[in-house]
Formats: sequence, structure tokens, C-alpha cells
Amino acid sequence: MKENVIILGGGIAGMEAARQLLLLGERPVIVERADHLGGHVADWHRLFPDKSPAEDLLEGLRPGLEGAEIHLGTTVSSLNALKDGYNLTLSDGSKLHGRALLFATGFELFAAERKEEYGYGIYNQVITNRDLERWFNTGKDSRLSGRPLSKIGFVHCVGSRDLKAGNPQCSKVCCMTAIKQAIELKERFPFAEVYCFYMDLRLFGKKYEDFYIGAQRDWGIHFIRGRVSEVAETLDGRVVVKAEDTLSGRPLKVSLDLLVLMAGMLPNPSATALARQIRLDVDDDGFLRSRDNLAGIIASNRPGVFYAGACTGTKTVPETLAEARSAALAIHNYLQDAK
Amino acid sequence: MTDFGYTLSRSSTVNLDEADRSLWLRLEKLEPDLRLCMACGSCSASCTAAELGGMSLRKVILDLDRGRDPAPIVSACMLCGKCSMVCPRGINTRHLILSLCRIYEKK
Amino acid sequence: MNDRIASGFAPFVIPFVVGMVFVLGYCFYALVKILLQLPREDRVRFLRSLVTPRCIWKNVRDIFCDCLLHVKLWRRNPLLGYMHSSIAFGWFMLIVLGHVEVMLFVPHRIHFLYYPIFFNYFVAETSETIQGAALFFLMDFFLLIVLSGIALAMIKRVRSRWFGLRRTTRPSLLDRVGLYSLWSIFPLRLLAEGFTAHISGGSFLIVPLNWLFRQFLGNDMNMLPTWWAYSAALCVFMCVLPFTRYMHIPAEMLLIPMRNAGLTIRHPRRGLARVEVFSCPGCGVCIDACPMTVKKANTRDATVYLNRQIRRGNERRIEEISDKCLLCGKCTAVCQVGVEGPMLRVAQRATRHYGLEPDFSGLDTAPVQNNMERFEGAPEGERVAYFAGCMTQLTPGISRSVESVLKKAGVDYRFIDRDGGICCGRPMLTAGRFHQAWQLIRKNSELIRSSGCNVLLLSCPICYKVFREHYRLEGIRVVHHSDYFHELMEQGRLRVEKGDLTYVFHDPCELGRGSGIYEQPRRVLGCAGYLTEAEKNRRESICCGGSLGSLTLGFSQREDITKAALRNLTEGGPDVVVTACPLCRSTFRRYADRPVWDLAEALDKQST
Repeated sequence: MKENVIILGGGIAGMEAARQLLLLGERPVIVERADHLGGHVADWHRLFPDKSPAEDLLEGLRPGLEGAEIHLGTTVSSLNALKDGYNLTLSDGSKLHGRALLFATGFELFAAERKEEYGYGIYNQVITNRDLERWFNTGKDSRLSGRPLSKIGFVHCVGSRDLKAGNPQCSKVCCMTAIKQAIELKERFPFAEVYCFYMDLRLFGKKYEDFYIGAQRDWGIHFIRGRVSEVAETLDGRVVVKAEDTLSGRPLKVSLDLLVLMAGMLPNPSATALARQIRLDVDDDGFLRSRDNLAGIIASNRPGVFYAGACTGTKTVPETLAEARSAALAIHNYLQDAK
Repeated sequence: MTDFGYTLSRSSTVNLDEADRSLWLRLEKLEPDLRLCMACGSCSASCTAAELGGMSLRKVILDLDRGRDPAPIVSACMLCGKCSMVCPRGINTRHLILSLCRIYEKK
Repeated sequence: MNDRIASGFAPFVIPFVVGMVFVLGYCFYALVKILLQLPREDRVRFLRSLVTPRCIWKNVRDIFCDCLLHVKLWRRNPLLGYMHSSIAFGWFMLIVLGHVEVMLFVPHRIHFLYYPIFFNYFVAETSETIQGAALFFLMDFFLLIVLSGIALAMIKRVRSRWFGLRRTTRPSLLDRVGLYSLWSIFPLRLLAEGFTAHISGGSFLIVPLNWLFRQFLGNDMNMLPTWWAYSAALCVFMCVLPFTRYMHIPAEMLLIPMRNAGLTIRHPRRGLARVEVFSCPGCGVCIDACPMTVKKANTRDATVYLNRQIRRGNERRIEEISDKCLLCGKCTAVCQVGVEGPMLRVAQRATRHYGLEPDFSGLDTAPVQNNMERFEGAPEGERVAYFAGCMTQLTPGISRSVESVLKKAGVDYRFIDRDGGICCGRPMLTAGRFHQAWQLIRKNSELIRSSGCNVLLLSCPICYKVFREHYRLEGIRVVHHSDYFHELMEQGRLRVEKGDLTYVFHDPCELGRGSGIYEQPRRVLGCAGYLTEAEKNRRESICCGGSLGSLTLGFSQREDITKAALRNLTEGGPDVVVTACPLCRSTFRRYADRPVWDLAEALDKQST
């Protein structure tokens, strides 16, 4: 009988890995804490660089999961390493044994209220990147409904590259997401002025630069080089954003109807807690430590434990999918060798 | 110097070949954090003295690096400490300013 | 009792007399020097206080309670208190009773400095008197008390934890000489009096001892050597005293009247500062109290080491220690002598020479003026100006809650720095740049007066402290929001419903130790929910580590301090940590595992 391959996390990494493992003839078991698959992507509306619907991506992954054992709304209470694999106790009390273990635990979105000076959770005009995508998806957000949006701001690097917020790393995808969301808002509110407050624009991937050019040329989005320091409310129901316009070297103020905070990616604390239980190495940045960062990104320091996606660092969607596939193959080879 | 009745206007180029970076080099020894600045502008954006006196720590650091005199800007600092609260690189900004004031010699 | 030796002299008194003359001479020299170091107005103030009856009474009482009875130490740890007061008060009583004996029985010898000290050697009990017996009893009694204190002191060197001291200082070589000579004085006195008791008489302690000695050593050969040893021990102790931590004994007797006269530290090394430094007994209570010492590397930055380095004149270390301190004031709060470590450090910072001295006298405040919300028309009723301060600009949650509470209570207020203001000047003061601080204070005073308020409400204790102590705002009441909100509740202007959350209150340094406000925030919280106390609270609250007082501590060096302070607060398992300072709140929030609120936020959630 085939032995279980336990996949922690049912986001796109876990889904793709499970799909590939099924194709390779293995028995993947997905444990997902949410009541649905898809992870953060399920919250998203469209994905860069082609603005393709996130739902389409998930729709493409789901059919391949037929035959996989999936535990939704379930967390792992404890994790033990045995001689021939790993034993899990789930939150519903059941036990699982797997020959191999795949961490597809992803990331945690930075809680924007921790950057209190930006006023998230205090001012209704301040939302996060995820809130905006949800609104695109559902059209429901009391903070956005019924208000004309004529001036909109995006703050890059919220909870990224910020020692004070506890995360000195770059989250990699926010620059691109901000530009994508800025354009999407312009599509809905063509007459709105949109400002992006950035420190550095990091647009490194295929088609990203085109997006940037498009944002400037076709949509007239303003890019202001300066980190926002404070947000205050005005009497007429707007927020005033204070920054330094570092290029002109002068303090800058602008009042906005909507401010979108690009919350960054943090390590998933529950993944770290599980990793500790079986003594997996955790990197300085809090993400799980790969065996090496070139050829061994999906490998851990323990036999039979593999990584895919944002559990080892910030990743884009294509990177995550590629890692999931290579992890599936590595697991398949590992199980073959073990025979 | 002989007065010819006119002066040559100084070039606006930042000439790094001729820039006098001695102040930076001296400060750097006392405040190695100086090198950490990524010029994000958080300090100047939150600065209490920015609007009133034109203080901008980012500019001070840039001026030092380019060999320009930072005195007129840094003199506006009220030491309130907001910049040290917001600096994403954790630079001890207040001490940096005090050290600069300390090693500064009137030209 | 009669004189036994006609000349009233024996050679063994010479070492004692030498020591005594030296130490008295030294103290007199030091006193004159310090008085000359005081600024003229301070000197006049001090000397005048010495002849003011109220001050005299206060000085006598304080010296008696602090130097002899060590009342503060009793409160800290009874064993430690007993140890100190037994030695100090016991010794004092031995000296006093010695003089009483001389005056009663051999009054013509009172002008001999040494007579009361070596009384038992010089007299012979000829006929038993009630008075003599009573005095002998008291002498033996106090000697026993002192000896018990010395025994405890010896135990303390190896088991300091029993005395509530975790970490203590290592004595220097001279300190050890002083210590061992002090320890030997009283056992030697016991021996000397024991060997002499069959001639001089004695009481319950030395008479049986004398009997015991005579069983083994049936002659008086041991008498003189022990008196010599006793005198020599006294001589050694007094000769090294000025160069050891025991200098705190005379120094504290000067410190108390100086402080009662209201003097403050003006210079880090001269005058009052010098007296404070020498008043430090080096006990090391401040080491455990200092929030920085959670990191072992910072142990030597506690105030006791600052005092030591000032005595030694180690300039490099003095600068380092002065700049690192958070100025939380806890060392002063726990110090039995009350050495003002933070003030010493600020004074040290003020001596620094800067090549660049900012000048704010010409600062144009028009941008602030133009944006300021102000009261118009003639003043009537209470007009509250809310000044949030720089830090609160970064914590809009606090200013919003303050405004919300003010609205609920129907207070007529203006948020005068909604659009930013200028710094209160306290950070400049703590950096030792007094001149610039005063310029800022003057500028800010103008702004506040122009708002037309009669109450200045502050939610930041850093601002509050400087407004209270340094601003001259006639006709304007300066109040912290914890105090003001408590008042609103008392007056029934604010209705508070008790919630079911448990709170722990963190006393911000500048509000608690700095301004003496401890109870009002607790009463507010007690009405809004259930209040628990951290192990270290009120005067002993632990600094959050975010203080602007420290110039050199970098961001990463503060993490352990903050976490230690949080552990103290969260041990009792409160739902929410509440404080009343934007800086403490931001600092705690970085590492806290539960919500951290300002008092205004806690109150806003529960009030209508």
C-alpha cells in the first residue's frame, strides 16, 4: 500500500504539489486550517502580471485533486518524528502518519494595525491590499461603499524592510501588487488621482517593467519617492498623509479619500511552531531554512521533510507553483529510494 | 585673493573627485550606523522641525556623504526623537545628530 | 567609679587620636571645599537653612532616621535594615553613653577626645552604684547589638541573597581594608573590655567573659595588647575612611541638610553632586533595580559604578555611563541615600562642548500658529487645550481616544497641535542642552498662551513633566490626562461602565517617579474593569526601555529591556497592559503578546 505524503497547507503550493503527487502515483493528504483551499490566492481578485483572475488559477488546480485526502478546517496539534516518517495529531483528535512531509504553510500577511501611525483600524479611509482585493471580489466593504474616490494613495513596504515592524526583509510582490491595484482602481475611477509612495521600486520579473511604464504612460499614476510617516484625519472625512518628497527634499502632505497599505509577508508563526517540534532549522528572517538557497530550496535539514512556496521566504505565484512541482518530484524520488 | 570685479559661478555638479568628505569619515567612526541609511525619508517626514526649520536628517546624511556642509539643516533639530521611533533601519538618529554637532568645527 | 590612672593617659590611645584628628580634619577640609564649590545663591540658601528652626528639626529627624536607624532599608529588607541600624545606631549609642559615663563619673576628663572611647581602661569600679550598673548594662547591651550587626555583615558577604541583594559591587582594596578594620573594631573592644572587667567592672556581657578568661589566663598580660589592637583598628578605619565607601557616613550627614535646603545638582562634579557621589555607600541596590542590567553587559552602567568612576576620575567611563542611562529614576527611588543618578548624568551631559550649537531664539512659529485651533473671545469657564506632543503624532489611537472622552464629558477643548507643534523641550533637557531647551520652552509658552486656554491637557508624561516643572504658564493649569479623566469621573461628567477585562497598569517613568502620579490611573482602570498589579509597580515600575533619556542605547539593545519589563507586567495574566505614555505604549506593542492600550483608550471603550 502507498504511504501518505502529508501536505501542511492547502494554498496554491499545497494544491499543486498534491496534484503532481497524484499524477506520480503517490497518496497526498492535505491539512488546511481554513475551511476552503486556495490560501491567500483565494482572497485575491486578479494576479499580476497578466491581471488574470485568481479564481481561474484555483479552478485549474482543483480538478487535479480528485483522490487526495483533504482535511479542511483542521490544524496540527502535535508533530512527531518517527523512524519511518512523521506522526501528526490533528485538531479533531485524529492521527495521521506520513512517510514524507511537505511544508506548504505559506506566509502571514503583516497586521497593518501594528504600524499605528498609518491609522489602519483607526481611520475608515485606510485599508490594506487584501481588503482591496476582497472588495474587488465581493464589492462589499463598508469603508468603501458610497464614497466617491477622487484621491487615492498606496503605501509600499508596510511591515517590510522595517526593523521597527519586526521585518527587515523585502516582501518582493508588493511593488508590483501596488501598481496592479493602482491601475485597477484607475479602471474603476478614471478621474481619480493615484499616488504611490515608495522607497525603491523593485520590479524585476517578466512584464513587470511594462506594467510600470503602463501605469505612468496610460494611467498617469504618480510615483512619490518617500516613505509615509504619519496619517491623520481631516475634519471633512479625508486622511492627510505626511511624507518626505525625497526627490525635492521637502516635506509633503496630501489629503486622500482612500489609502491602501501594502502589507508585507511575514513568516507563518504556526509553521515555525511546528518546525520547532521536529527540530527544523529556522532562518534569521524567521522563515524555514532551506538546505541551500540555490539548488536545495525545497529541501530541509531532515530526511523526508520538504518545503514549497512562501514557507521559506517571500515568493511570487509562479515561483510557488514551480517549487511545488519540484517538491512533488523530490518526494516521489525520496519514496522510491526508501523502498 | 584679487578682486576682479566679478566671480565665477560655482558649478552645480556634485564633484566626488573634489568633495571634502572628512566630516563624514570622522562621524562614521563614531556612528557606524551612518552607513545604514537608505534615504527612505521616514525621519524627515515625521520630523517636528521639518516644517519650521527645514530639518531633514536624510538630507544631512546625504550632504555629509557628498561633502556639503550640513550645519544649516541640522541646527534646526529639536531632538524630539520621533525619527528614532520611525527609522526602519533602527539608526540611533538622536545620537548621530549629537555626535555631528560635537565634532563639527565652525568653518 | 574612679580614675585608675592618675595622668589619664596611656600610650595606646595615640593611634586612635591620630586617626580621629585625621578624619575630622579631612571632613572639615572637604566641607569647606564643597561649600566654596556651591554657587553663591546656593551657599547662602544652604547656610540660611541651617539656622531656620523648621529645617533644623527636619535635618535632625532625617539624619536620625536615615543615617542611624536606616528606616528605608528596613522597608526594603528587615534583615538588611537590622544589620545597618544595629551597627550605626549601636555604635552611636556606645559613643553617646561613653560620654555620659565620663560626664557622670570623671567630668574633669571630658576634654580628652579618647576618654569616652577607652573609658573602661581608665576607671576602676570601687563601689557599685545603680547608675554605674545601669550604664554598664546599656554599654554591654549596645555592644552586643553592634556585634550582632557585624556578624550579619560577615554573613552578608557570602549570602547576599538573604539580604535581598542579588548583585552587589566588588569592594576595592581600600574598601576591604576599611571593611576588615570595621569588623575587627568591636570584637577587639569586647576582648579589651573583657580582659579589663575585673578592674573596671562591667555587665552581663563582659563580666562573664572576664571570668572565663581568668580561668585560662590568670594574669593581666593580655589587657594592654588588646587595648592597643582596639585603638589600632579604630585608627586604620578612620585613616582609610575618606578613601573608601565608608565616606558615605559623614557625606550623608551633609547631604541631608543640603537636600532639605532645596539645592539641586548644577555641576556633575562640584558641590551637591560631589556630596551625592560620596554619599553612595556602594551597596549595589541600584544594580538590580536598573532596567538595563537585564543584559549582563550593562551591569557596570548602574549608578553605583558612575559614583565609583567619578571618585576615580575615569572620564571615558563617566561619559559612557552618563550617555547610556534611560533616566528612568529607579535607582534614586530604591537608593537609601537617594543619590540622584539621572541628575548627575544629565549634569555631565551638560558639560559637553558642541561645535554646533543650534539657536531657536529666532524660530518662526507662524506655520504652527496659523494651523492652531484656538479659543476666541473672552475667557469664561474651563477652556481645555489638548497638547498631544510629538510622540502622540505617531499614535493616533491615543489622541482619538482622548478627544472622544473629552467629547463624551462635554469638555470645551481645542486640539492645539492636531497639525503638529514644536517639541516640549524635555528631550533637549535630558540631552543636557539646557540653553536650547529653554529657547524651545519660551517659544512653546507663547504658542500655548496664544491658544486662550486655562487648562493645558497632556497625554504624554514626557511633556507633562517639563510643562509642570519648567514652564511658567500663569493662569493655566497643567494636567495629565490620567489625572484629568479621574476628575471628570469624580465630578460625574463621565459615566464609566465596569467591563470584564483585567488590566495591569504600567507606571511610565515620567508620570510615576517623575511626577508622582500613581493612584489616579489605577482608580480609572478600577472603574473600567479589574485591576491587577505587577510584581514591581509604582515607584519600582520597570522602564519600558523606549526612553529618550538614553542617548547611546540603540534599537536592538533595548529589546531585552522591553521584554523584561513586559514579563513583569504580564506574569499575572492580565488581558490588557495599560499605560499612560505614547512612548511606553509603542515600545511595548513591538513585543507584547497581548493588547497594549493607553489609559485613554481603555476609558474610551467603557465610558458613555
